[in-house]
Amino acid sequence: MKNNIGKIALIIIVVAAVIVVMYPSYNASNLETKLKDYQARAKKAGNPEDSLKIMEEFKKTYGADLESAKRNQLKLGLDLRGGMYVTMEVDVVKLIEESAQRESIDEIFTEVLDKTREEVKTSDQEAIDIFLKHFNNIARPKGKTLISYFDVADIRDASEEEIISKLRKDAGDAIDQAVEVIRQRVDQFGVAEPNIQKQGNSRIILELPGVEDDTQMRALISTTARLEFNLVRNNADIVRAFAKIDKYLAEKNGVFKKEKSDSLAVQKDTTKITNDTTNITKNDTLKSDTTKKDTNNPYEGLSEQQIQEKHYREHPFTSLFATYYVPEGENANWMPFYYINDQIPEVGEFNFRISKDSLAKFLEILNRPDIKTFIPLDLKIAIGAKPDPRVLKQNKVEIFDFYCVKREPELTGDVIVDASQSFDPTTNAPVVNMTMNDEGSEKWARITGANLKKRIAIVLDDRVYSAPVVQTKITGGRSQISGSSNVEEARLLEVILKAGALKAPVKIVEERVVGPSLGQDSINAGITASIIAFLFVILYMIMYYNAGGIVADISVLINISLIVAILTSMKGTLTLPGIAGIVLTMGMAVDANVLIFERIREELAKGRSLRSAIDEGFSKALSAILDGNITTGITAFILMTLGTGPIQGFATTLLIGILTTLFTAIIISRAIIEIVISNGATQFSFGQPKVQA
Amino acid sequence: MQYFQNTNIDFVGKRKFFTIFSTILNIIGIVLTIFLPPQLGIDFKGGAEIAFEFNKDVKISDLRSNLEKANIRGLELKSFGAANQFLVRVPEIETGPDKVTNILQQSYSDQFNIIKIDKIGPKIGSEMFIKALWAVLLAMIAMMIYIAFRFEFVYGVGAIIAIVHDVIVTFGIILIVHHLGILDLEVNQGFIAGILTVVGYSVNDTVIIFDRIRENREKHKGLHFAKMVNLSINETLSRTINTTATTIGVLVILIFFGGPVLQGFAFIMFIGIIVGTYSSVFIASNYVIWYNTERKSVIKDNPSLNTVK
Repeated sequence: MKNNIGKIALIIIVVAAVIVVMYPSYNASNLETKLKDYQARAKKAGNPEDSLKIMEEFKKTYGADLESAKRNQLKLGLDLRGGMYVTMEVDVVKLIEESAQRESIDEIFTEVLDKTREEVKTSDQEAIDIFLKHFNNIARPKGKTLISYFDVADIRDASEEEIISKLRKDAGDAIDQAVEVIRQRVDQFGVAEPNIQKQGNSRIILELPGVEDDTQMRALISTTARLEFNLVRNNADIVRAFAKIDKYLAEKNGVFKKEKSDSLAVQKDTTKITNDTTNITKNDTLKSDTTKKDTNNPYEGLSEQQIQEKHYREHPFTSLFATYYVPEGENANWMPFYYINDQIPEVGEFNFRISKDSLAKFLEILNRPDIKTFIPLDLKIAIGAKPDPRVLKQNKVEIFDFYCVKREPELTGDVIVDASQSFDPTTNAPVVNMTMNDEGSEKWARITGANLKKRIAIVLDDRVYSAPVVQTKITGGRSQISGSSNVEEARLLEVILKAGALKAPVKIVEERVVGPSLGQDSINAGITASIIAFLFVILYMIMYYNAGGIVADISVLINISLIVAILTSMKGTLTLPGIAGIVLTMGMAVDANVLIFERIREELAKGRSLRSAIDEGFSKALSAILDGNITTGITAFILMTLGTGPIQGFATTLLIGILTTLFTAIIISRAIIEIVISNGATQFSFGQPKVQA
Repeated sequence: MQYFQNTNIDFVGKRKFFTIFSTILNIIGIVLTIFLPPQLGIDFKGGAEIAFEFNKDVKISDLRSNLEKANIRGLELKSFGAANQFLVRVPEIETGPDKVTNILQQSYSDQFNIIKIDKIGPKIGSEMFIKALWAVLLAMIAMMIYIAFRFEFVYGVGAIIAIVHDVIVTFGIILIVHHLGILDLEVNQGFIAGILTVVGYSVNDTVIIFDRIRENREKHKGLHFAKMVNLSINETLSRTINTTATTIGVLVILIFFGGPVLQGFAFIMFIGIIVGTYSSVFIASNYVIWYNTERKSVIKDNPSLNTVK
């Protein structure tokens, strides 16, 4: 009996573990249905403002739950949920061509490049290696060396090895940069749960669930990014424009007219805006203002609550973000700025910060045609590329800087020859060194000279990666950018700056788009097939092995649940070939049980007692089960490591299936049989014909 | 319930006949592969595929004549899964798919729905093909080593003979089915996965019989080797039939209910498992028997070759 408790516990633990692992998937699908309801309501609402409001309500009530459930749910492959799968490749040959000094390129070099390009098409070797092979075969006998064509930025007497390693590093940077650009664009496009990753040294894999419009997406990911240097104009002009937007919106909402009569409407309005407010504005609400003894203070004599409400009501736009005023002078402190009156300081600078939650509403307002007119024609708003790492680490909120920059760039990235991340020798802080060509250096000297102590934003694809303050007039084209908060940030800046220098186009080499209807059809077909197959197996086993068959069926059922649970907890993806793997495991899992039961029958036929026949049956069948499953496992393992896409999905579930089959057939089946016979049963039907005594 | 009890079918006695029969099958398979070259899917040769469905009845001949208007080089049209679903293949991936969707738009405006587009560059395609071939080769070598290690080297060779037999015969049958137009079975990633699963499955079958031979050699020391192999096959016959029956049952269900994407895969496995079961019973042991009886008389002086580990 004691033994039994252990066995029962084992089965319960396995079942419980499966339930625990699978619960998020169940929860996520429930919440997704709710999300669809909300989305339908938001669509009905008609105007973008109300739609945003409905979606925010959902986010508030279920957002966190859905997010955590989604993180832990079973992920479905694109073939099941629909979406776009893209493999992109950096044209390394083009990169090599662009890296060579233009004036030194001759027929020999062109021949080497042509040969390389031809071979790259079919070879799976790295392009740089192929280039070197052809270079050694063609150019070297003619007395050329790599040094004849490449000039590594600063190193005067660069060795061959240095040139090669520089080319390799550039190729790697080109990929990193493409990944960064594509990630930003895909994020802005609003793809949910995109998966963007590097594969090897020259490829990027994109998995974009739910994307159907492949033409638009293709254009989005394959246009080359533009790197620009724009002057930052965070000055009184833009603050005035923001104040005007506030007034316009508030008037449009009827705040000033109805203020007293329609308190209900006001109430409604307030709650809405409070939801949108960023953490920072919440923290810096007008507390400081109440202490300010300003004669013009319109908030005189109001409670804190009322002040907040009134402020949000009257400032529907500027309360979305936080504004700071920085007076002129070294190390001036940032002071919160509130747009409460028309007194806007003309000297000094402003800083704007916005939380990710408010960003959608902020951009929605800014993009309205009637609002666009408020922003001076020569200016545009550019959002920082990454959230403030310090705030993110401490408070887990994503706060972005945004900048008002001059619409026309001062300089474009093609003047950059090289960029490299290093450390400041004195402070040991991460810095990025940037080198420009002669033409660029000349302009750069003029620009920096004219904008001392001003900020210049480094903008790629309308996202600001850094906005350093010009310290001195920079002549000679070598600049050092400091102020990165960590090495990763500096490294990213290096990669981004190279966007100008590296002209390595990224092209699509593989693309698969699965429409949502096919995905749904495949899921349905997969589920139907699995259920029918399972029923078939259940009936067959019961028919042939009677009680033993029931045991086998329970064990196969646990087996299937275990496969799905293990796949979920491994953060694996279930694909259609994966379902095929599961269905197949079902067939093979039966095999292990069949082997055992056939053995038990044989032993029973020899006249053994039930107990010892079971013992013998399990132990004798073990070697066959092990050998059979290990050989199949070897195939599955090789498929998993060498295969791509569909083959891999199939092999992964097959391999998990083999492990769970061994576990369930040898341990679970046996435990069930032993629990049954330990209750005093002397008969247990394995479907064997009645033995004549 | 029990199909057989203490059967004593003479599987081994006709081994010369089955060896010759299978050799002929293999030769036919190889000849077929040469004269009826397999159709490579876009996974391996590159190209684009667009699948779409109509929300009304469309005749494939009408669709074909409409598509031919666009004059796209190398265009192929076939039906795909359910009624009113079609698949178009074009070798050119840059502009080809757009041309196809344009012509569909012109001819059918809103009455169609794109359900899938695949574009594979030729380089990726050939890379995948090379990788797949490597996978097949490596899997075979690894299995042979494992069996040689667990049993004896001759058994490893026997298992590999059975695998090569299964791959060639299955391939031949599939070529015939494909060229007769019964099912569209082109060589793509799913195809390779199917063949490899057949290989794994067939080895599993073979190993279980070998396992019984290993056990019976200890038990029935005096018995003639061929007879003992026959006994082993008979003893495992019940298992062989039950497992084959359940697996084949599952595969038949997949063929009919698994949807267009799984159908081809399931069919390959269906054929492969029938061939694999046949080879496990009739072919795999033949080499081992030949080695242990005929060759043993030649190398009688060296008993170490015939010891059980």
